[in-house]
Amino acid sequence: MPSTILYTSCIAGAIGLYLLACGTRGPVRGLGTLIALGGLAWLISATFSSIEGPIETSVLPLIFGVIAVMAGVRVTTHRRPVFAALYFVLVVVASCGMFLTLHAEFMAFALLIVYAGAILITYLFVLMLAQQSPTDGTDSGSTWYDRTPREPAIALLACFILLSSLVQALTDQSARAEVIESAGKTVAAEQVAWADLARMPRQLERVATEIEPDTEEVLGGINFDGTAATIDVKLTSGEQKTLTIPEEAMPTNTQTIGLALVSDFPVSLELAGVILLMAMFGAVVLARRQIELGEEEIRESAGMTPSVQRGGDE
Amino acid sequence: MTHFTALLASNDPPTLAELVNPRSIQICLVFSALLFVIGLFGFMTRRNMIVMFLCTELMFQGVALAMVAFGRMHLDVSGQVFVIFILTVAAAEAALALGLVVLLYRRRATLDVGAWSELKEC
Repeated sequence: MPSTILYTSCIAGAIGLYLLACGTRGPVRGLGTLIALGGLAWLISATFSSIEGPIETSVLPLIFGVIAVMAGVRVTTHRRPVFAALYFVLVVVASCGMFLTLHAEFMAFALLIVYAGAILITYLFVLMLAQQSPTDGTDSGSTWYDRTPREPAIALLACFILLSSLVQALTDQSARAEVIESAGKTVAAEQVAWADLARMPRQLERVATEIEPDTEEVLGGINFDGTAATIDVKLTSGEQKTLTIPEEAMPTNTQTIGLALVSDFPVSLELAGVILLMAMFGAVVLARRQIELGEEEIRESAGMTPSVQRGGDE
Repeated sequence: MTHFTALLASNDPPTLAELVNPRSIQICLVFSALLFVIGLFGFMTRRNMIVMFLCTELMFQGVALAMVAFGRMHLDVSGQVFVIFILTVAAAEAALALGLVVLLYRRRATLDVGAWSELKEC
């Protein structure tokens, strides 16, 4: 992508975002929206035309991405935190759409459930616990610190230098060559899929039994010659037979993720569990209220009889 | 356009050649950079503590998108496995950070980070 287009669109986006973040009146914010959208459209069209590829399958990620970025801008500039949280749900949904177009189905739905379903609900709970009603008499429904951005010019400078260098690195000649080269690896993709299936012996046995019900056991691994995958099986009658595996028997996305998770990253998986447990402890310790107990309550919780009554009895 | 309607009309699963589309990968990478940068901007400019943490979640989304796109580019599932770990860290961070926010709110009765500016050294 030519660097003039890159820098101009980044500057346009920065100006638009500045007007959106600092504008107090409707027309200023509208102008900011227009300028930022123009910069975004310019950047995206330059990206779109900088590389070869089928157009029809790149339209959906484009639409989802535009939705995600616009909702993301609303998250950072909306004056009311509750609306910012709700716009973040839109970001999650749109990026899950992009995950689906990248054929990461399991991750798309896991993100949707965990982010939009669990984390965002926690945010909304805390917002309801802690959000203040406006005290200065304005009808905007937001407090002053939600309306006043902190150092927006410096932040924008830093952010858009980062953005232009990131996009430059992602779209330059060598990165583009790598992306295009990866598109030619369809045979490699099939090889990877069959190799994953070969690592799941019970699944492989099930596949073999579906094709040939008389299968007794699978001999050896999967032979892949570039077009078709075959396995050798031993039948119950004792003779050997070569079966061709159909493409539908390829392991699904969820199966390959599960396989990679438990066979390639088992320690990380355990550590993730430990991190979650520690976070739970930490949250409980941080958020609990300190309750001052009197002497009587301490005695009672320790299972002792109240001191006054006991003294009277004796 | 005829391709597009044909694609919508057909019930066949996509062939492997359609799975890796360099243009859609490139687009997803650029959008992941955009999401990360917008989240960074929000984290630096907002004063509300809860919205600041929301913006870090936005940055997590950008990184997760880049992970999945790079994984698709190299035909490797490790990118998606890393997203699971990102998800774990994000959930842990949300639980801890929100507990902290509740604690800080009880002390000063405001969500403004400026109320804690005496914590910085200069």
